[in-house]
Amino acid sequence: MSDFKVIGQRVPKVDARRKVTGHQEYADDLRMPGMLYGKIVRCMEYAHAKVTKLDLSQAAKAPGVVKVLGPKDVTQKGYNSGVLDLMVPEPVGQMLGDIEDQLVFTDHVKFQGDAIAGIIATSEEAAERAAELIQVEYEPLPVYLTAEEAKKPDAVQFTPLKPGNLAFALPIQMFPDGAAYAWGDSEAGFAEADLIVEETFTLPKVKQCQMEPHTYVARYGDGGRLNCWTSTQMPKCIHNKLARLFELPMSRVHVIQTTVGGGFGCRLGMIAEPQVCAMAMAVQGKPVKVSLLREEDWLGSESRHPGKYKMKIGFKKDGTPISMDAHWISEGGGYYTHASGVQFTLGAWLAGTYKWTNFRFKGDRYYTNTTPCGAYRGYGNPQNNFAMEQLIDRALNQLGIDKVEWRKKWHKTVGDDGWCMGVTYASCGLDECLDKGAKAIGWEDKIKKYAKQTGSKRRGVGVAVMTHTSGAMPMLLEHTTCTVKINEDATAELIFSCSDLGTGAHTSLQQIGAETLGFPLEDVHVRAQDSDISGFDIGAHASRTLYVGGSAVIEACEDAKRQILERAATALEANQDDLVMENKKVFVKGSPDKSIDVATICYQGVYNWVMPDTGNWIGIPGQIQGYSSYFAKHNSPPWSACFVEVEVDTETGQVKVLDCVAASDVGKAIHPPSVEGQVEGGIQQGFGQSCMEAMIYDEKGLCLNNTFADYRMFGPSDMPKITNILVEEHDPFGPYGAKSAGEGGQVAPTGAIANAIYNALGIQFTEGPITPERILKAIKEKGLQA
Amino acid sequence: MSSRVLPVFDLLLPSNLEEAVGLLSQHGDQAAVMAGGTDLLVGMKVGMSPAFILSLADIQGLDYVAFDAKHGLRIGAMATLSQVVDSKVVNDKYHALWYSAFTNGTPQTRNAGTVVGNILRASPAGDCCCAALAHGGSVLLQGPAGKREVDLDEFWLDYRKTARKPDEVAVELKLKAPEHGYGSGFAALTRSYQDLAKINAAARVIMDGKVCRKVRLAMGAVAPITLRLKEAEKVLTGQEVTDQLLEQMAAAVRKEVKPIDDVRSTAEYRREVAGVLAKRVVQDAIKSVAGPCPYSCFMGA
Repeated sequence: MSDFKVIGQRVPKVDARRKVTGHQEYADDLRMPGMLYGKIVRCMEYAHAKVTKLDLSQAAKAPGVVKVLGPKDVTQKGYNSGVLDLMVPEPVGQMLGDIEDQLVFTDHVKFQGDAIAGIIATSEEAAERAAELIQVEYEPLPVYLTAEEAKKPDAVQFTPLKPGNLAFALPIQMFPDGAAYAWGDSEAGFAEADLIVEETFTLPKVKQCQMEPHTYVARYGDGGRLNCWTSTQMPKCIHNKLARLFELPMSRVHVIQTTVGGGFGCRLGMIAEPQVCAMAMAVQGKPVKVSLLREEDWLGSESRHPGKYKMKIGFKKDGTPISMDAHWISEGGGYYTHASGVQFTLGAWLAGTYKWTNFRFKGDRYYTNTTPCGAYRGYGNPQNNFAMEQLIDRALNQLGIDKVEWRKKWHKTVGDDGWCMGVTYASCGLDECLDKGAKAIGWEDKIKKYAKQTGSKRRGVGVAVMTHTSGAMPMLLEHTTCTVKINEDATAELIFSCSDLGTGAHTSLQQIGAETLGFPLEDVHVRAQDSDISGFDIGAHASRTLYVGGSAVIEACEDAKRQILERAATALEANQDDLVMENKKVFVKGSPDKSIDVATICYQGVYNWVMPDTGNWIGIPGQIQGYSSYFAKHNSPPWSACFVEVEVDTETGQVKVLDCVAASDVGKAIHPPSVEGQVEGGIQQGFGQSCMEAMIYDEKGLCLNNTFADYRMFGPSDMPKITNILVEEHDPFGPYGAKSAGEGGQVAPTGAIANAIYNALGIQFTEGPITPERILKAIKEKGLQA
Repeated sequence: MSSRVLPVFDLLLPSNLEEAVGLLSQHGDQAAVMAGGTDLLVGMKVGMSPAFILSLADIQGLDYVAFDAKHGLRIGAMATLSQVVDSKVVNDKYHALWYSAFTNGTPQTRNAGTVVGNILRASPAGDCCCAALAHGGSVLLQGPAGKREVDLDEFWLDYRKTARKPDEVAVELKLKAPEHGYGSGFAALTRSYQDLAKINAAARVIMDGKVCRKVRLAMGAVAPITLRLKEAEKVLTGQEVTDQLLEQMAAAVRKEVKPIDDVRSTAEYRREVAGVLAKRVVQDAIKSVAGPCPYSCFMGA
């Protein structure tokens, strides 16, 4: 496949120049005549309370205030910030228990930061000053921070629709085997096992920490049209959901996606669009800008799901993984939102990785008085990896089996059931990832070298593997449309709704378009981000944009190319099958002289006249446009292995990451620098989740670290050198053999770094993040091996 | 809730110290003094709302880092952390202070923030506070009645409270001149690189061979103010420094500190590593008596 001209090239990203020179416009840069500024008033004092009094009258009189809005001044329709309703058929949505339990402004505060009112003023300052004048009284309600507390029989109910505050459990209708994702008989498996290990892991609530805070502009006007500028990951879903929430036909809703300053899942579905659009509808004709402060962003947009993960695994002496039984219980926050998705996928990733003879997974999600949980890179996979990969290592230590060899032997591969039973893996380069990664980190030597250590600095190496997905077919709708418009000079516009979260998606799609058309890269331009212009795309989630969008681009470009060849065949009086298109020329195979320029065909399609002397048309009329409405045929999971070497200071518990090797099978790397960037960023977030990050709540449910000063992540200087190995195992379903690269990079580092610490100290940490505080405490309690 | 909008204030821009003191005599109770502003402006986004900000920006000649062997080191109120990091004499002679400035914040905040500002902020986690206290010295204040010096040991009164009166300007930080056998060390533990310290420690020793003639040991983020650990100092003073003695000192440190739980760390952890850090900074200080600065290479001119 070395004859690609554009694919695989390290071209500059389409957005690189504008971003690094500061010219890229984000939502907050938008300025419009007559612009007003909105402030969402949030309950910051309580995590659970009824609003007993809300007096907006003083605020309404404050200088610069245009309008104040309480819960009754806006639509009373409920909504769900998640988008499951658009991804599955209605009966499935009902089975999964999807509900609309959110209101634009609420009088039942369910977490700190819940929106209770809105203020629209002539400046941000005036809106903020007015917000201070709102008189509000609350009746505090009991605060539930854990599933244990929320499920108590006398607990206040978050919604009558979810008795016991159980937002979600795998439905028995879909999982008849005891409402569990299961095969075989796990109990019988344990009876046969030579070794059983079990543990309950605790996963922290972590935040995506995207750079750009959520910012919007909305304007209702233009003959009854609602316009919304948003840096959402899912412009077409927002288009649909806003239309439904405000009961407008979709033709009267216009969503313009602004530059996405980082997504990682936090812009999946709606965030503050309902509040901002409700404000815009209250001041018709005027644009309203709402720019969330970091702490509002922090509290008011969704986080990763924390929870307790009970896991029991059984092995035969030879390492045969005979049985797995796992139960994930998540504390999912104040609203339903992604209640079903992550709880299901945790089990899916667990099921998809290794060949357990018997398998059983249950996933529950309870309401709690914390920021609602939603999508964050990996969507359950990093939580899964932290627990699964550590527990497996514990067993392998007892069995005396090498951790790389065992993984090579027992990971699923081509032909095995993937994360969705019935959809088998079509490609798998994990063995090569493990081999190359082990060699690069010096696995065998280091395992031996670190087996016996003394002194206060202890080193260790760890490995973890993962499989993820490329789009969520067949569980969820995977549909993307693409139009390719060929200009009269034989250059092309690719028009679609695919989002680029900074991942390089538009660059890669541009490369695919150019490759398919046979055009130089600079002759292909990407036009996205406007619901008036581009057709449907489900949005950037499930690592799908390149995979599904790329296939849509190929199909649309092939459609355009076919039209070009048809016309060339007529012009050259040749059989279409005998034609070759190269360097923007079409010629008859073997007779390069018999040719026509693609530009001529395109030009004549647009500027088409009848010649007065002959009465004949010149060329064939009609502008060439290719189109695709593409539904994914598979989910081509990517694979990767991550190796980490750490040094633990046993006197302070501090962990220094010395080395990291990531070997990733992403199929064909369409734009290798983007893939490498995704892998590196994923490692950084994975390390953060395992070793540093956690949202901390006090007993009242108030978040103690909602800024970047109080919540720390791995920064550039905390990172080791990374060896980035790309294993390009061709996938038969992916566009040009590509699989996804967006989310997978974050998964295996979470388990690998935990295993490296385990290897260094001989102590396994079941509670994340593995902070120096926890390490030192454990060393004190359990002691170190000499 | 924070705000992107700064509260309303009057900016006072005196052009000399006398004028500054005069303005503070008038408005001192309602005024914040601004040097680098790296703490003040952040504070003003989260509720601090001084009616006046008195900026030292227009007062010439406060940005010095000056040394003489007799009087020691003098750091003017407008000297930035970067200036200290770039100072050869600080790197040569005041290892603890140099390293505390070097690891402080980010390049951006080091370019704007001042050492004196760090001292005046009186945060128990202040890295320069900790190093300066170990070196020992004083803060020079200028008020309506003239100048006075307050020993660093008496300068911090409580959490973010100092001995500076509202009508006084802190003019400079003075650190004692090194004596024969002088060495110092600094260490901080943070969650990530470029973070506030969860705990920091600094030591200054005066050694006579293997015997510790004098020692000053300071520790931050273990009490409402940066602490001198005098009991631990007593363990070392006049003794030959051995591993066993350092263990005894560490035990004394753990008794002397009064840490709390917060988002950065726990009291239990801080107490435990307080002893470890104390040992490490004393060892660094002793090592630095004979050798060069024990920390990262100096990159200044």
